[in-house]
Amino acid sequence: MADFKGTREAFAQAIIDLAQNNDKIMFVSPDSLKAMRATKFAELYPDQYVEVGIAEQAAVATAAGLAATGCTPFVGTYAGFMTMRACEQMRTFVAYPELNVKFVGINSGLLGGEREGVTHQFYEDLGILSNIPNFTIFTPADGPQTYHAVKAAAEVDGPVYVRAGSGREADVYEKDVPFSMDGIRILKEYGDDVLLLSSGFVLDRVLKAAELLKEQGVGVTVGDINIINPKDPSKVIEAIKKAKRIVTVEDHNVNGGMGAYISRLVVENDPKPVKRMGLTTFGESGPAKELADHYGLSPENIAKTVKEM
Amino acid sequence: MNTTELKQMANHLRFVAVDMVYKGKDGHPGPALSIADIVTTLYFDEMRVDPKNPEWEDRDRFILSKGHACPIWYAALSEKGFFGEKVEDFKLRALGSKFQGHPTMQKTKGVDMTSGSLGNGIAIGAGMALGGKHMKKDFNVFVIVGDGELQEGICWEGINTAAAHKLDNLIVFADRNGWQSGGSVEDTQGSNNIAERFAAFQWDVQEIDGHDIDAIKTAIANAKAAKGKPSVIVCDCVKGKGLSFMENDNAWHKGVPTDEQYEIAKKELLGGAQ
Repeated sequence: MADFKGTREAFAQAIIDLAQNNDKIMFVSPDSLKAMRATKFAELYPDQYVEVGIAEQAAVATAAGLAATGCTPFVGTYAGFMTMRACEQMRTFVAYPELNVKFVGINSGLLGGEREGVTHQFYEDLGILSNIPNFTIFTPADGPQTYHAVKAAAEVDGPVYVRAGSGREADVYEKDVPFSMDGIRILKEYGDDVLLLSSGFVLDRVLKAAELLKEQGVGVTVGDINIINPKDPSKVIEAIKKAKRIVTVEDHNVNGGMGAYISRLVVENDPKPVKRMGLTTFGESGPAKELADHYGLSPENIAKTVKEM
Repeated sequence: MNTTELKQMANHLRFVAVDMVYKGKDGHPGPALSIADIVTTLYFDEMRVDPKNPEWEDRDRFILSKGHACPIWYAALSEKGFFGEKVEDFKLRALGSKFQGHPTMQKTKGVDMTSGSLGNGIAIGAGMALGGKHMKKDFNVFVIVGDGELQEGICWEGINTAAAHKLDNLIVFADRNGWQSGGSVEDTQGSNNIAERFAAFQWDVQEIDGHDIDAIKTAIANAKAAKGKPSVIVCDCVKGKGLSFMENDNAWHKGVPTDEQYEIAKKELLGGAQ
């Protein structure tokens, strides 16, 4: 695998690598070639690059048509322009007929949209897609995991959404760690006081919080939730059953994202207290790290919330 | 089939469509009858399909973008043999039926694409046409859109895309019957100048009588011969065509014939070619 830094570059490298042995891999772009860092893909595989212009609904509909003829199209653009503007196309013409279309949504969360402001920050995408049957939803935690998530998406038969950022994500994983299909990866086991679950690009913050807590004598287990509403959540339920209390942290609205998903699993399998950390309001413009801190996702605030639980 | 036989088939399919709405007690007969001659010409004269192998990758594709007109499509698929024996009772819109209120590809053999929410067929058809070209297949993609439907913004996104990619394997029929759910297209949106709009988007454009089988055949041949751009065939149609009590009466956008009207339909549609 070639070197890359950031989730968009990871996406581009992954589809380049996929296309090397598969001429059915297509990239459908609603003028998102540059935003998705996929210019090199278009140069290498011009016949597999489909430009539709600034028209997200057509991008998804065109991808549905391509998939119906046997191609494996990836639609990549801003998370909300897909999941909101083209939501109906994703639902009715991809998810309902279970067509093999893959979606990669960038600028997710405050960390993804940061200085662009609310129009380009998307913290609703998981909630929207969680209500649509047949979607597989991946929330990789950094660039390397995004690379593997995009490759894993190509292996899934049916619609997949990969939540991506904009390059402000801190890399946590080594490059060669595969994307786990278990839906959870336990990264730290400092104790079973609290199961601290992270999804997406807040993972480095959650890991720092775990270190702060450890110093303060609170032993937590840290899990990276990388699939939302998987068909088989047994490994996640296993972790839930071992925990006394649970805190979820995500750069998404607390209604409809990972916290909501985990809360359901907890209620249905082993009821216990759950605290959901995430967003409850719209954000605003600002540098990514300051913004995430300001909206409650600092390691200190995560640690404080765990202790207060 | 020759033209006379196609005309007879169109009226037969019209009756089957009305029959399934009558028996199912729900559906859109007016929009279905409007496109009967186009659908008949496609399935019984033009399209390369194999009812025994509905997933055949070299088949021509058909998308009914105005999906609510599906009774006529279901009638054509049944007559063509996609369901084995011809279907006697479609159980249209009934629980558990494979004949959904709007076309659903995973439930109904021969349905190449789910449709019904208006506006999406051209962009999806563009994707199929692109897929065909990419995989070096020589199939054509046929789409029927309504004139009211063209008010949807995504139509024009798809029209743009198809022209930009020079999709000469995409042929769209615009059913210009002048009506939409709430009233006339002109009263609703001010104009119905479909041909001029498509021409401005660099499509090959023809205008024909959508009930003239020979004109439909010729227009398809012309569209296939037009290289380097997608084609639209603007068809002047009559909503409810073929039934005296239904023609041009927009109350039949959605409706169920009475017993008496059902008997009239039998006489008018099965009494022979016009």
